[in-house]
Amino acid sequence: MKKKWYSFLLIVVFIMVGLVGCGTVGGDDESVNKEKGSASGDTVTIAHEMGETKVPANPKKIVALEFSYVDALAALGISPIGIADDDDESRIIAPIQDKIGEYTSVGTRKQPSMEIISSLQPDLIIADLQRHKDVYEQLSDIAPTIVLNSLAADYEQILDDFQKISIAVGEEEKGQEVLEAHKKRIEEIKSEVPADEVRVVLPGVVTPDGFFAHNMDSYTGSLLESIGLKNAIQDGSDRYNKINLEQVVEFNPDVLFLMQAGEKTVIDEWAQNPLWENVSAVKNDSVYTVDRDTWSRFRGLISSEAILEEAVQQLYGK
Amino acid sequence: METKSTTMRKKVILFIVTMLLLFLSILASLRVGAASIDFGTIFQSFFSDQTIKDYLIIQDLRLPRTLIAIIIGASLAIAGAIMQAITLNPLASPQIFGVNAGASLVVVVGTIILPSISPSALVYFAFLGAVLGGSTVYYMASAGGGTSPIKLALAGITVHLFLSAIIEGLILFHEDSTESVLFWLAGAVDGASWGDVQVIWPWATAGIVIAVISARQLTILGLGDDMAKGLGQNVVVIRLLLSLLVVLLAGASVAVAGPIGFVGLIIPHIARKLVGIDYRVIIPFSGLLGSLLLVSADVLSRFIAFPSESPVGIVTALIGAPYFLYLARKGGKRS
Repeated sequence: MKKKWYSFLLIVVFIMVGLVGCGTVGGDDESVNKEKGSASGDTVTIAHEMGETKVPANPKKIVALEFSYVDALAALGISPIGIADDDDESRIIAPIQDKIGEYTSVGTRKQPSMEIISSLQPDLIIADLQRHKDVYEQLSDIAPTIVLNSLAADYEQILDDFQKISIAVGEEEKGQEVLEAHKKRIEEIKSEVPADEVRVVLPGVVTPDGFFAHNMDSYTGSLLESIGLKNAIQDGSDRYNKINLEQVVEFNPDVLFLMQAGEKTVIDEWAQNPLWENVSAVKNDSVYTVDRDTWSRFRGLISSEAILEEAVQQLYGK
Repeated sequence: METKSTTMRKKVILFIVTMLLLFLSILASLRVGAASIDFGTIFQSFFSDQTIKDYLIIQDLRLPRTLIAIIIGASLAIAGAIMQAITLNPLASPQIFGVNAGASLVVVVGTIILPSISPSALVYFAFLGAVLGGSTVYYMASAGGGTSPIKLALAGITVHLFLSAIIEGLILFHEDSTESVLFWLAGAVDGASWGDVQVIWPWATAGIVIAVISARQLTILGLGDDMAKGLGQNVVVIRLLLSLLVVLLAGASVAVAGPIGFVGLIIPHIARKLVGIDYRVIIPFSGLLGSLLLVSADVLSRFIAFPSESPVGIVTALIGAPYFLYLARKGGKRS
């Protein structure tokens, strides 16, 4: 009986992996092909997480419902007309604020305002799979909508999504250029990390009552791994894990990057505990407080470079 | 005479067995965690002032966590037992009665308005919310005279949903603290520290002691209002005082660990089934069983999504919800 269960589970897992694999691989090819094949008309067909959408060629008015899309558009030199900025302009990090012009806030990323979005009469809406799956139909009624995976993405996926966005906005060539430049910049930064770097790092969001660790599959974690900084958490089913002090002590990171949410966080409480002194990062004086918007909310090319520059600066003083 | 002594013996055995199980669950709670620490080291840590990592993990993390689970389990179970006695209603519990939701709402509002508020001050917020939630449900359920189990369940669930909707609204508009608040709302003891123990123990001890002392009144109330009045009890005053006791026990628990559900509902039932209808026995036995349930549930919660912590409230809900449905199927008749 037990064996049966396991094999059943295994089959389910295989089917799911297969489907997901086909979905992304096939999707990418398709979107590129279709673009070349059917761009002759006024629309470009983009394959995305929730199907295919006909997007008008060279859309002008774009609404971005996640910060990583703002990052992608800014990298392409495009100013979105509307951004779900959580009603807080200061969440747009400085290097991106410089690149984009005036925009209209369409509310929070979690609950964007349909009314404001439709009043902007956009040509294209870029939405997130996890946050906006349920309002996809509504958004599609307003304007052509493509759904990408930002919230649950790792660094590689962010790069893929960037390409997809560049195709959707009719800037595929520029997208390639920007991506090449980005990869070159990352290589440069990577060359500053010694090949024999053995320290393990742990990025995490710290709130008043919890430490939310970002593991090796998370966006920030995978980004740091891409330049040779290994994550302290190499397992776990979730990319974002709420862990307690005991687990921090056990994972024993040599470097901590803390994205602080709120003035008083759980770290203030932990610092009173003698156990905190047992964490390698604390012993080595390698606990760094970093900006949560840059490090966790943006998930894009510009912010990736900013994160790695800051990390290398902190670790090697370069 | 014969039967009385055998039931007495049965009760003594039940108490001893439950205490043994509680002791085992406490051992498990000290043993299970991210760091693997053997029993020898755990034992030694109690007699050493050394600041070795393993000793510190036991003394400063797992011990307060276990104590919090013991205290809150007992508090919620006793609060539930008192509620079921004073309302003569088997479906009464701090959760069904809106006490948990009320306390949660006021605590969430408190943390949003005053982000730097200290945990010991939050307790008073929780008390206030518990009073508001509980009295709203009682007022609604007793409209039109008498509180039948069905009216109570309807009023309770309505108020509970209403308060939860407000809480969700608040969370939506204050996205910054979402993750933590959501975790807290499921009911969690994983972050418990000695500070939390200090916050809750005076309230919990006072509440439990008063509950044990007033057990006789509870038994008499359990006979019905007419009988209680006939025996010279001032039913209204006693109800009011005992309700305050519920607020004390449940409110302090919510302030520290969030609204952990179902402990207060199912434990008194199991206790009544095992030791009979005398509240002088039910109250302490519910306390013991409540501690046992919460400490074991907390140990289980560490396995659900390792290495992440899962809120213990998820486990109690997994155990409690089917039991609640079973009670409802039985027609909500007093067991």
